[in-house]
Amino acid sequence: MMTTRRLLMVACMSVAGGACAADFADPVRMEAGGEPIKVEAPGYAAPCWDDIDGDGDKDLLVGQFRDGKIHVFRNQGDGTLAAGEFLQAEGETAIVPGVW
Amino acid sequence: MVDLNNDGFNDILSGSYSWNNRERGMAGTFQVLYGGDDGFKKPVDLTGTDDDVLIIPAGDDNITEKICTRPTAVDWDGDGDLDLVVGNFSGTFYLFKGESNGGFAPEPEPILANDAPLRIPGAHSDPFLVDWDGDGDLDLLSGSSQGGVYLAENTADTKSAPVYAAFETLIEPNGYPQAGGADTPNAPAGSTRIWVDDINGDGKLDLLVGDTARIVTYPEGMTREQSQTLQAEWDKTTQTIIAELQAAQEDPQSEAYQEIMQRYQAHYQSRSEFILEESTGFVWLYLQQ
Repeated sequence: MMTTRRLLMVACMSVAGGACAADFADPVRMEAGGEPIKVEAPGYAAPCWDDIDGDGDKDLLVGQFRDGKIHVFRNQGDGTLAAGEFLQAEGETAIVPGVW
Repeated sequence: MVDLNNDGFNDILSGSYSWNNRERGMAGTFQVLYGGDDGFKKPVDLTGTDDDVLIIPAGDDNITEKICTRPTAVDWDGDGDLDLVVGNFSGTFYLFKGESNGGFAPEPEPILANDAPLRIPGAHSDPFLVDWDGDGDLDLLSGSSQGGVYLAENTADTKSAPVYAAFETLIEPNGYPQAGGADTPNAPAGSTRIWVDDINGDGKLDLLVGDTARIVTYPEGMTREQSQTLQAEWDKTTQTIIAELQAAQEDPQSEAYQEIMQRYQAHYQSRSEFILEESTGFVWLYLQQ
């Protein structure tokens, strides 16, 4: 997944070495379960990288606009993410109100 | 994720577009899903020290200041209490100061840069606070409706309260195609939402960027070239029908105008016979070198 190492020079109006000076590799689309991670239409993917299951490694949570649902992609500890599932709260799919 | 109630379990903090509250008008609330030893609770409104729901108190003539919220919880002023830094539709930022009892002040302060509201290019401010430049204080990064990632450097001499410079572009936007998106996108499109962490464990901060993108696929058995040929024919027919509509627009109630309009609508729907567009959102990883 993390293949391209060509440097991407970022646009930065500050002097070299300032806070904005940074070089990134080309962006890579995150995958889980061997497929690109996608949220439902209309989109608005909002990522969060944190340890949701307390196993010591960080997982990927992705919020979406539709129904205010949150995808959970668990870190499998080998550099890959498992296929996603919707976050559960009290036994049901968690739905953040006010997002539709 | 952050342990908002200091119970040893991480909680999930979320913004929202707007509540459905006819009496108080539109406003994006802040939702928290409290974590516990049996998982997460259903989301509840975050309240202030006055026990009322936290919202950005802008007037109804300034709705974009208080909808489409995006919160993050950090110790803004180094006093040991978590504070809330929030974004909104309009692209500005507010601070709800944390109190020693764990609550939040009901009245937020606007976050400034050079004595004016700190504002991202575009809309949909999306704050993430982290020491990006390694100088020991909290810089502010954000996505934007127009795409890209932006950095406001904290220029304060002390760690007590940040002082921000205006935003600079950290990642250039790649555009937000409204139609005819990329077959296989190779970079984030618009409506970027970000997270910052050392993803690959090399000691450097990396970026996760969520987006909203339109992707194009073709009906089964159709090649891209075949689709493009049909698209060109479709475009010509579109121009012809629009010319007919313009010629008949003096009397939009006439049978002739209505007949043309029906043909236009049927023609527009026929586009799905050779091109399929999907609106979605991806997550992109920018590894810092």
